[in-house]
Amino acid sequence: MNKIIVCIKGVPIPGTIKVDSETHTLKRESLELILNPNDRVAIEMAIRLKEIYDFKVIVISMGPPNVIPILKHAYALGCDEMILLSDKIFAGSDTLATSLVLAKAIQTLSPYSLILTGLKSIDGETAQVPPEIGALLEIPSITNVKKLFKQNGFWIIIRENEYGEEELELSEPFVASINSHTFDYLRPPSLKRLLEVKKIEPVIFTANELGLSPEQVGLKGSPTQVINIFEKKIEAKGTIMEGSPQELAEKLIRILKTKDLI
Amino acid sequence: MVLEEVKLENLEKGHILAFGECYKKMIHPSSFEILTPLKEISESLRKKLILICLTASLEETENFEDLKKCLADEIWFILNPELKDFKDDLWARVLAEIVKNSRPYGFFFPATIIGTSLAPRLAGILKLGLCAHVNSLELKDNQIIMARPTYGENVIAKLISKSVPVMATISLGTFPINYKNKEPLIKKVIFPETFSWESKLKIKRFFPTKKKITKLSAAKVIVAGGRGLKNKENFQKLFELAKLLNAEVGATRPVCYEGWAEEERMIGVSGVTVRPKVYIGFGISGALQHTVGMENSEFIIAVNTDKEAPLVKIANVAFITDASILLDILIEKLKTMK
Repeated sequence: MNKIIVCIKGVPIPGTIKVDSETHTLKRESLELILNPNDRVAIEMAIRLKEIYDFKVIVISMGPPNVIPILKHAYALGCDEMILLSDKIFAGSDTLATSLVLAKAIQTLSPYSLILTGLKSIDGETAQVPPEIGALLEIPSITNVKKLFKQNGFWIIIRENEYGEEELELSEPFVASINSHTFDYLRPPSLKRLLEVKKIEPVIFTANELGLSPEQVGLKGSPTQVINIFEKKIEAKGTIMEGSPQELAEKLIRILKTKDLI
Repeated sequence: MVLEEVKLENLEKGHILAFGECYKKMIHPSSFEILTPLKEISESLRKKLILICLTASLEETENFEDLKKCLADEIWFILNPELKDFKDDLWARVLAEIVKNSRPYGFFFPATIIGTSLAPRLAGILKLGLCAHVNSLELKDNQIIMARPTYGENVIAKLISKSVPVMATISLGTFPINYKNKEPLIKKVIFPETFSWESKLKIKRFFPTKKKITKLSAAKVIVAGGRGLKNKENFQKLFELAKLLNAEVGATRPVCYEGWAEEERMIGVSGVTVRPKVYIGFGISGALQHTVGMENSEFIIAVNTDKEAPLVKIANVAFITDASILLDILIEKLKTMK
């Protein structure tokens, strides 16, 4: 059966990351990770394509073992197989090193039809991994895709950019990152699958199993490096106005008048 | 126009390259923006700043005159009919050849959709580091240090890239466009006969955007809304206010994700950077993600229930109240005044 591979990421809950002002390292208030919301859309796309064309959907993620519940969530949504790429030496990987790990794992799943991803993660927000995977696997990469369907043995794709929408035709395999507003409806997990997934675990691959050395991944394998992180401190500088909304509206209008807006 | 021709293998080496996005008969203004910080860097490093443009032909470019006054020392055109459409794989291969033959010290892209599709593909081909959505560039001991907000929070990361060329995409609207008097030297790069212009992508049709492109980055007055407005209906009232004040409507990231506003209206790291004369934020707490995109506004007004909200702190004047209620009253009062 033809395969769709969906790459997903576990991200920290928004608002739980702080900087330790002394060590300049990230403090995580919670180790709990959530499914990157943009990847939810890629999963939905994969499942809709599975329903039309009878694909097997394989969901894959690189991360620590606390990503497992997220993979299981993807299974409950309709994905068929779960793969976790997990190794201590993966820690600190930048987008290139991450893409290398994903590409290595994806190679072992060949042949496959499509690789789908979300547009970007909400923590790193780089959107770089999908084109990097495409380059490493030497297959086309298309970003910000809104529609995908088959026609006469080719895939037809609609993607969006600043200029408008483009309709493309290409052959599989390729990588596509999916536009985050593609669907009005995202299905909930199925109860049957939620029960099923309690009894199964994702397949785990380590660096060794993927044929990756410590020089290729993690901090060592990452050309880009964070040399400093800091929290932006803001000191109050302006005037604070309090009172009833009526009074405040009057005051605001007076300010707008001084700015020649009225 | 007759251009000086230079063979791919004879390209000058070791300079700073910037990607000039020529598409649909326009040079995207963001390509001129990124030249502003790069000009300083290249001068300090005593290197040339070179704009790299891929397009089918020069004839149809509407804002070609802007190119002649841009900050680049040279412009290298790669011209081929196959470059009429943006084909990620072909464009990245063309740029990879440029990099291999000119061995630049840095290669920078505007963070447009094309820029952010192309730069990582090129980085992947050449196995290079790439920093995303950089909004500050500085030199320290001849090393390029880049900064960007990250984790969608109030965290700023400073980054370096150990691979050469140093690569980054630069946030849109972050730098002003500057011009100079001296015309850049414009060259045409001749690729060898053996280079294949084939792509696995076939662009069948193009539907130009029907949406009126918001002129946020050029707006004099911006009324922006955040989650504090509670729902889409309240957010919609900003458009009424904008009409009364001759303003543009901006939004925060969460609000765009909720679908209250189109993504084109997003101000901040993943959206546009604005510098209006007056910015009014309704129900915006002011995560760094948003504030980096508007903190250079001339006059900032915040409306929020939370006195401790970051936007309240950076505002020139803050009104501590429910933003949706104040918005209603404000619109009513302004209507009666007209």
